[in-house]
Amino acid sequence: MKNRLKLLRVERGWTQEQLGQALGVSRQAVNALETEKHDPSLDLAYRIAVLFARPVEEIFDNPHA
Amino acid sequence: MLALGKSTSPAHGRYVFRTLAFMSGYVAVNVAAIFGAFDDIASPVAAWALALTVSAPVIGQIWATLSLMRESDEFVRALVAKQFILASGLAMALASVWGFGESYAAAPHIPAWMIYPLFWACFGVIAPFVKSSN
Repeated sequence: MKNRLKLLRVERGWTQEQLGQALGVSRQAVNALETEKHDPSLDLAYRIAVLFARPVEEIFDNPHA
Repeated sequence: MLALGKSTSPAHGRYVFRTLAFMSGYVAVNVAAIFGAFDDIASPVAAWALALTVSAPVIGQIWATLSLMRESDEFVRALVAKQFILASGLAMALASVWGFGESYAAAPHIPAWMIYPLFWACFGVIAPFVKSSN
């Protein structure tokens, strides 16, 4: 799923490890999200949205829209 | 068994510890068998007890792998589950072909416990090609 996660992370100067710790997931999970190798669960997508204070659809493209 | 790159998550640490513990038990029982520790077993009950003892570490290692999935984050869980399912399918397919080969084509007999190392061999072949949970 296309997303702006890497852009948002880099804007804040965070590493994948730091973002993973903030979200409660592994660095591998963050990398997989950024490289579109994993579509997040609804729960994780909402956690990411809360962390970056943005609506989910500003971070993840809706493939059905 | 299972490698997840540079992962140092608590779940992966527990998996490594559990796998080493179970495989140490497996090696110990088999070394004892090789050196004749169980050669005097005569009764069927004792023989089945030995079979269960040797199998226990294998069952434990399967539990360790399933526990890794349960205790990991959603990406690692989905990835390992996908690899596990594909490896299981491949191992069952190969075992079926060989089993029918024994039945119909006089293929040499291979003990059923070989399915376990065969599964991990299949896992090792598949895992490098399965890096996405999608």
